[in-house]
Amino acid sequence: MSSKTDVWQGTLALMVLRTLETMGPQHGYGLACRIELTSGDALQLNYGTLYPALLNLEQEGYVRPSWGSSENNRKAKFYELTKAGHRRVGKAAKEWKKTAAILARFFSYPEEA
Amino acid sequence: MRTLRALLLRILRGSRNGADFDAELQSHIEMHTDEGVRTGLTPEQARRAALIRLGGAEQTRQAYRERASVPWLETLRHDVKYALRGFGRNPVFTVTVVVTLALGIGATTAVFSVVDRILFRSLPYVHADRLVSVGLTAPLSPQEFMLGGSYYSWQDNQKPFEALTSFLGIDECDLTERNPMRLSCAPVEANFLPTLGVSPILGRNFTSDEDRPNAPKVALISYAFWSGHYGGDASVLNRQIDLDGSQARVVGVLPADFEMPTLGKADVLVPEALDVAAQRRADPGRVMWAFARLKSGVTIPQAIAQLQPVFNYSLSLAPPRFRNEVYFRVRSMRERQMQSATLAAWILLGTALAVLLIACANVAGLMLTRMATRERELAVRAALGASRGRLIRQSLSESLLLSLFGAGAGFALAFALLRAFMAIAPTSLPFLANARLDLRILAFTLAISIVSGLVFGLVPAFHSPRALALTARSQANGRAGFRQVMVVGQIAASVVLLAGAALLLRSFANLASQPLGLETKGVLAAHISLNRYRYTTPQAQMQFFLGAEAALHRLPGIVQLGFSDTVPPSGYHHDTIFSIISVAGRPPQTGATGGMVVWRWVTPGYFSALDIPILRGKPFTDDQRTGSESPLIISNLLAARLFPGQDPVGQRLQLAPNGPFYTIQAVAADVKNAGLDAAAEPEFYRLRRNLTDDWQNAPSAIFNLKTSLSPKAVAPWVQSQIAAIDPTVPVDIETLGESVGKLADRPRFETALLGFFAFSGLVMAVIGLYGVMGFRASRRTQEIGVRMALGARRADIVRLILSEGVRLILLGTLIGLVAALTLSRVLKSLLFSVGPRDPLSFFAVTAILAAAALLATLLPARRAALVDPSEALRAE
Repeated sequence: MSSKTDVWQGTLALMVLRTLETMGPQHGYGLACRIELTSGDALQLNYGTLYPALLNLEQEGYVRPSWGSSENNRKAKFYELTKAGHRRVGKAAKEWKKTAAILARFFSYPEEA
Repeated sequence: MRTLRALLLRILRGSRNGADFDAELQSHIEMHTDEGVRTGLTPEQARRAALIRLGGAEQTRQAYRERASVPWLETLRHDVKYALRGFGRNPVFTVTVVVTLALGIGATTAVFSVVDRILFRSLPYVHADRLVSVGLTAPLSPQEFMLGGSYYSWQDNQKPFEALTSFLGIDECDLTERNPMRLSCAPVEANFLPTLGVSPILGRNFTSDEDRPNAPKVALISYAFWSGHYGGDASVLNRQIDLDGSQARVVGVLPADFEMPTLGKADVLVPEALDVAAQRRADPGRVMWAFARLKSGVTIPQAIAQLQPVFNYSLSLAPPRFRNEVYFRVRSMRERQMQSATLAAWILLGTALAVLLIACANVAGLMLTRMATRERELAVRAALGASRGRLIRQSLSESLLLSLFGAGAGFALAFALLRAFMAIAPTSLPFLANARLDLRILAFTLAISIVSGLVFGLVPAFHSPRALALTARSQANGRAGFRQVMVVGQIAASVVLLAGAALLLRSFANLASQPLGLETKGVLAAHISLNRYRYTTPQAQMQFFLGAEAALHRLPGIVQLGFSDTVPPSGYHHDTIFSIISVAGRPPQTGATGGMVVWRWVTPGYFSALDIPILRGKPFTDDQRTGSESPLIISNLLAARLFPGQDPVGQRLQLAPNGPFYTIQAVAADVKNAGLDAAAEPEFYRLRRNLTDDWQNAPSAIFNLKTSLSPKAVAPWVQSQIAAIDPTVPVDIETLGESVGKLADRPRFETALLGFFAFSGLVMAVIGLYGVMGFRASRRTQEIGVRMALGARRADIVRLILSEGVRLILLGTLIGLVAALTLSRVLKSLLFSVGPRDPLSFFAVTAILAAAALLATLLPARRAALVDPSEALRAE
């Protein structure tokens, strides 16, 4: 068994949004590193999948891209949360907690019984 | 919402920002490589690791592109771009195809917009499919009618209808306000609108209390009258208006799309206000038009069966001599409205569709030829991995694109054609004047263009050989065989179209050149219709017309002047039944009606103005107009029926039982008096004397003026003479030639249209034939070279190619003639004194087609024969 988990379907977008909320504007590579770091290196992220996800968020109006320079002066495209993006994170966080709590009950139930 | 926005962005932006993403990817890889170098890897190792973590640069690009756009749309965009490039490389092909399609689609669209309302569009009533026209038919009237004497008994006892209603016909009426206006009024029963399922948009319908003889008068006004005369003002409700001199209260406004079931224009609906009890006792009672709504599930044949008892009651009331000639009829509202127009409409639509099919066949032929020259390109694409489906899709998107171009051009052409139709529009083809290119028509155009695109796109697509080998050379034989079948079909279709056009043309020529029995050249007819409210007595009416006659006599350039209440060859005239006329000294006639006899009131000048010869006896004289006798002139036909082998002059006739006797003074030549396409009916003329007895209910008359000056010059003088007497009297001036010409409008229209379609069909079929023959000849270049090298002369080569063409022409013509002979029977009711199998027409059609088709094969044959054998042998 692999010790690292693949990213679940649909959760990558949430991770991206949440990371952008806490870290502020980030470029793609920075986001990828940050997500792996946040997960405590438990996630195996295929960096290539990040860009279509970012594009999707951009098309949906949650993030706004702009070109800038990185820490070591490389040209890079930075992504920034829009207002809609902020609202989306807030909503998603609530939903996620609820879902997690429900699931948690399911998995704790047999042990209590 | 957000998903929709994303989809929209993908469709609009597509993968245009590919360069931007490349830069982003570049920067990602560089940053990752920097990181790797910092941890101690060599730059190459670091770069490799970065690419691995990315999952490959190209794969990432692909994933990004798929996210950035809608994949199938991308392929479509590609196909379209590819097709457009192909069209651009071959503009002659493209223009030919688009023009051919435009002709087919344009013609079909224009004709569809004309016949749509006649054949397909639903009538503006609720559940119009359940509405029927009901009534008796008798020699008196071609349309079914009802009589007050039995109508109410039908209403009480009928079973098949939910409701039965009536109206008394549309008549002129006058709005007698400050600005008097001539209107048309229709007296309708109180349940008229509810039966049709129509509600006023403003106000209400009449109540049955208002539909009584002495009830206060009320009126419903049409939308057009409301918006035109009252400016669409809602306060018109409850306003009193003066109709024919008495007050009526407006209680409602009809919807804009309201139509009378007979399609006549009615500005005002008023209650019938009939005394029902008196009508029940009356014999025969008021003539009325009746309409009914079938109970749900009842068919017309069932209704006819169920009505038999009430019909028998009506029959028992009819005078004995009528009984064998009275029937009853129930038919759908659409049939009642459209009459014979339905047949003409189907024929026109069928013709246009035939032209469209010929056009499609031509385009399919062109596509096949193009395909043959692109065989290698297709083979290369197949070898490079394009699937069969992908190639078919490419071919289909090309043909659909072409047919959309064709539809665009065709829609524009339809607009022009429709203008042309309207310019020669016959008034008897209903709704032509209102034909519009609306959304419904646009949808139809799109539908036929897509269908035709599929037809001529799929034919070549599925026809592509199974093995698209790179070495493919001349496998075109099977394909050419297919094209030959299409050419035979095209020729056959053109023969059918040409035959139809030739028959209509002959029929029209017969119609237009037949002797009318009267002179129309240089004759002006001035129709004058008095306002009933101003000229209420026979005395007043007579005085007006005699005054007008005297005034017109004083005009220069008028050679003869006579007036009558009606004029031939068509339009309204008085009718009487032949068998009620009796000759003095003979017992009254018995038996059947014997058909109808036409009669008119005339003055002595009538015969000389219209050049109707008096065959025997003396013409009416002006002195007789003030005399006390009642003279009569009868037509030759009537003379032959009443007095076979005898001299009618001096005989006396009683025109109605117990009526006065009239002396026959002369016999006049026969005149076409029942329309252009029907045989003349017997006729008599009564002299209108200057006595009020002869002017009972005579609000309208027609002055027939024979002029020595140009009729156009005289017309305004006539106007001003009448206006000098009473400026409010409407005068309608036409030359007799014009009004006779109008009667031929409908056949002229049908002939012109069918002729146009037949001609376009012929041109396209000939072009198609030329294309096939040219293609075949060029494919056989090598063979021709061999033959010539072996000693064949040029004439042999011409014969070789020609014989192939002639086979196609013969086969197509033969099939076409058989089909035309079968189909021409449909035209029978539209033809005038020419049979549907007229040998001359069919011979002419065959000759024209053969000549054109031979020309189309001769040209490629000659070209093939002029090939240089040494060149030909080297070809390919």
